[in-house]
Amino acid sequence: MEAYIYNLVNLIAIYSILAVTLNFIMGYAGIYSLAHAVFFGLGAYTSSWVAQNVSPSIFVSYPAAMVAAGAVSLFLALPALRVRGEYFVAASLGLQVLSVTIYSEWKGFTGGIGGVLAIPPVDVLGWEVFRPGQFAILSVAVLVLVVLLTTALVRSSFGRNLRAIRDSESAAASFGKNVPMIKTISVVISAGLAALAGALYASYLSFINVESFTLDTSVLIMAIVIIGGTGTVAGPIVGAAILLILPSVISYFEFLPQTEIGSLQQIIYGLGMTLLMIFRPGGLVGRRPGR
Amino acid sequence: MLAIQLAITGLQTGALYALTAVGFSLIFGSTRIFHFAHGASFVIAAYFFYATFGAGWGVIPAILASAFGAVAFGLLLDRLVYVPIQRHEGSFFTVFVASFGVGIAVQNVIGMIFGRGYVTVNTSLSRSVEMFPDVYVSPLAWIAILCAAIFLGGLQFFLRRTHTGMALRALADNPELVRTFGLNPRAIQAAAFAIGSVIVVPAAIITSATTGLSPAIGHHVMLISLAATIVGGIGSISGTMLAGVLLGLAESLALLIVDSQWTEAVTFAILFAFIIIRPSGLLGRATAH
Repeated sequence: MEAYIYNLVNLIAIYSILAVTLNFIMGYAGIYSLAHAVFFGLGAYTSSWVAQNVSPSIFVSYPAAMVAAGAVSLFLALPALRVRGEYFVAASLGLQVLSVTIYSEWKGFTGGIGGVLAIPPVDVLGWEVFRPGQFAILSVAVLVLVVLLTTALVRSSFGRNLRAIRDSESAAASFGKNVPMIKTISVVISAGLAALAGALYASYLSFINVESFTLDTSVLIMAIVIIGGTGTVAGPIVGAAILLILPSVISYFEFLPQTEIGSLQQIIYGLGMTLLMIFRPGGLVGRRPGR
Repeated sequence: MLAIQLAITGLQTGALYALTAVGFSLIFGSTRIFHFAHGASFVIAAYFFYATFGAGWGVIPAILASAFGAVAFGLLLDRLVYVPIQRHEGSFFTVFVASFGVGIAVQNVIGMIFGRGYVTVNTSLSRSVEMFPDVYVSPLAWIAILCAAIFLGGLQFFLRRTHTGMALRALADNPELVRTFGLNPRAIQAAAFAIGSVIVVPAAIITSATTGLSPAIGHHVMLISLAATIVGGIGSISGTMLAGVLLGLAESLALLIVDSQWTEAVTFAILFAFIIIRPSGLLGRATAH
């Protein structure tokens, strides 16, 4: 039971990081990305490679993951500078599909479909953190850091610029704001921090493969943000907790077909998203119901 | 010979892409509703055909069942989801998420009923015949190209020559003016959904006999629809048709250079290039900004 709860805490913390970072671009900059799992995956693969080939130290493998994801995120920033929400959804969907192909084919780096095995546990100042209980401290600590950092950014003048761009790009530009630069920085920050979730995920499970980084994952992350409430601090974390506890709740009701838990979970959050949009577009934690 | 073979296969794929994408393009162009569940319409049409044809209904009743499924889904979605959302706001994001949620639910319900693997409809029409030395073409390729010609030609005629068609184009230009002329925008919107949904039926049925179906195919359908709509130019039906054919040809001819798992990457590369270099698309008037 204890192991189960620690495991759940770790997963909720990791998905919360993903949701908080997606919320950072979605809720504040109006960039609706269906490619967030790409950076989750890139962080996981990069940190695994560095941990196996260079050093498993948290101060080496985790920053490497952030740098790699931040660099690749420029591919996502480029279309975001050119087009509005509708068209950007298409570009991010395409990037997600392309990345899954690359992750399945680039065997030297990702191990192909088979994935990466035997990833060493992460080393924090000489401590090897691998027990679920200890790891929960690490993953929650990283989550807290990510939340503090993104909240500080959102409350700073940078955050005001982001919201200004979301509400009216041309108005922000006419006030002399460098819109392309602000958007690019926000995408790079979001992707770099999402890579931290990937690095945590890889060193926690010590095994990763492409199945964890598909479109389904991007969809789940987006559902978490939306159900929790876009543009709020607590929303993504509440959403992550609800959606990740959902499978256990489904398995508690024995009359439901237990072999279809994954499908039932997706049906519930799919319909949940639709109903929220009809009745409460701000999300569960949203401050602006029915805006 | 390989190039000719791939060009013919590409035309077949392109015809199906054009038929798939044009429904989304019509709905998005005329109503501004980002109908992400268009992929779900495709999946519903395809599986209705698969189930009824497999149950021995015969081709014509199965086609009618498939058309019924797609149109009913489109109209219900419009009535129960989009109209209520438009009543309070209807920003792009709210509509997109609602539509997206329905798409996820449909994909999983279909997966629970029919299984998540690939299924194909068996027919003698998919057997290839040697047309020239080393060039094999199945009768389905000609059916696909013929269907595309008939349905896309019919759609163009409908949009240009009938009152409902002209009202649809008017709705795209100016919904307020439509109201001033005494037409009901909501009824026109429903017509857009009925037509946009029914036009995926031929593509869905032919796909079920050629490459096969899976519940997750809806995402691929959306990628193609979005890519063709953007590459063709938002609001331009002819642009979408042209772009659909070009994307199919490009995917197929790319096999001369790359392996088959990279075909979706080719679509993405073309889409990406257009978004960066020419966001208004091939025949689009309005820019994407």
